[in-house]
Amino acid sequence: MIKLKNVTKKFGDITALSDVSFEVDKGEFVFITGPSGAGKTTILKLILREVLPDNGKVIFDGIDVTEASKKEIPQIRQKIGVVFQDFKVLPERTLRENVEVALAVSGIPQSEWPSRVDKILELVGLSKRSELFPSQLSGGELERVSLARALVVNPKLILADEPTGNLDWDTADEIMELFEKINKEGKTIIMATHNREIIAKLKKRVIKLSEGKIINHEHSS
Amino acid sequence: MNIHLKTALDYIMRAPFQALSAIFVLTITFFVATVLSILVYSSGKIIRHFETRPQVIAFLKDESTPESISALQERLSKDSRVKDVKYVNKEEALAIYKEATSDNPLLSELVSPSIFPASIEFSLLDLSFAEKVIEDMRGEAIVDQVGFTANIGSQTALGDVVSRLRTITLYLRVGGGVLVGVLLATSFLVLIVIIGMRMTTRRGEVEILDLIGATPGFIRSPIIIEAFIYALVGVIVGWLGTLILTLYATPSIVNYFGEIPVLPRDTLNILALFGIILAVEIVIGITLALTGSLLAVSRVRRGR
Repeated sequence: MIKLKNVTKKFGDITALSDVSFEVDKGEFVFITGPSGAGKTTILKLILREVLPDNGKVIFDGIDVTEASKKEIPQIRQKIGVVFQDFKVLPERTLRENVEVALAVSGIPQSEWPSRVDKILELVGLSKRSELFPSQLSGGELERVSLARALVVNPKLILADEPTGNLDWDTADEIMELFEKINKEGKTIIMATHNREIIAKLKKRVIKLSEGKIINHEHSS
Repeated sequence: MNIHLKTALDYIMRAPFQALSAIFVLTITFFVATVLSILVYSSGKIIRHFETRPQVIAFLKDESTPESISALQERLSKDSRVKDVKYVNKEEALAIYKEATSDNPLLSELVSPSIFPASIEFSLLDLSFAEKVIEDMRGEAIVDQVGFTANIGSQTALGDVVSRLRTITLYLRVGGGVLVGVLLATSFLVLIVIIGMRMTTRRGEVEILDLIGATPGFIRSPIIIEAFIYALVGVIVGWLGTLILTLYATPSIVNYFGEIPVLPRDTLNILALFGIILAVEIVIGITLALTGSLLAVSRVRRGR
């Protein structure tokens, strides 16, 4: 489903990624790990076509993302659900509206919205808070909103950038259980994290980066 | 409710003073535009009224025979310098006199048709022909006297009034056009500034929408709808203000101008005239909103 071929990315003099290659198959759950500045987020940004590589190719769902035209970029992004470390929820919209926006962006008919939103809020455990605004929610709840928004459009791939970075252990554990559940339903997940406990607990494939290079590639046991 | 319309209405509610300033400027613009449209319409009607009055009246001798009158009428009809030839007999002349003196019935009671001469009235294609045509008419055997409304030589007559009206109308059209142009440009700039501010405050939201796959059209839609709302409210309020004023003042205006049809006489025709003005203003308003919002959006996105 995802293939990175000899990808190099520099930001000025700093090499964020150097000759990185790996593949992720459909239905896989892959952790990308490494210290801060190792290039984890850059990989996610490349897949999402937020940035372009200096060298190499990024193939997603058979499409070379690096060659995509401006018109194709929204189509590619609509197939990917993203869970951001800083949540990136719309502060002036209710939780329900935040999830509905994703449906509107994907062009899903308005008549389908209530059932889909109710179902996904039930899944992430936020049914009773659907009319609250982000300022009225905790960090863990905001992470769930971000996850709900990513999932509601039934994406082919979920990218999660440090989804437990701002959460306490118990909340992080609950969120990871959700991800595992989603993965078991067949969703492909690529998660950037430096949380070793989580990686150890879930026992999934791990791509370890250091200074922009893959230094270890462990498969799930 | 459509998500883009709801978003646009939310923006308006969140910054009501920006919305009010945009609507206020647009309302003034379209109020002035509607008033000027009506003034241009009325001045055109006044000029047309005076232009279509007979410019030359040849009063006929009492002994003129129907044959000689018909012959003169036919000659004039074939004359390329002359148009709208009309024969007015003694009875019709009395009727015109009675209508003109209707506010003083005593004057009309004292006269009989016999004292009014029959006449042939006609207009000229160009006032430069007047002197020669009048001279020709004076040479006709059955013509007693020739009256004229044109300005000939040093004599001042209705032609002067028409000429002055033409000048005033020209000033009105040019001056009004410039004023409306300036107001439209001001509205356009205010729209750009307000939409630009809206885009700047929405920057975070735009980035999120961009990342979750929103197309540029999806991101632009609420902004364009917001500009449409401003333009439509501005057009309708400005237009409605002028309509109410006109309907209120129509009886006085019609009474003051008498037989000159400065405004349509019945309400339906007034509404038809205002309907045309509204349709044109809506087209202008939508064009203004569309170009203004697209320009503002593209400028802000370029700056990102």
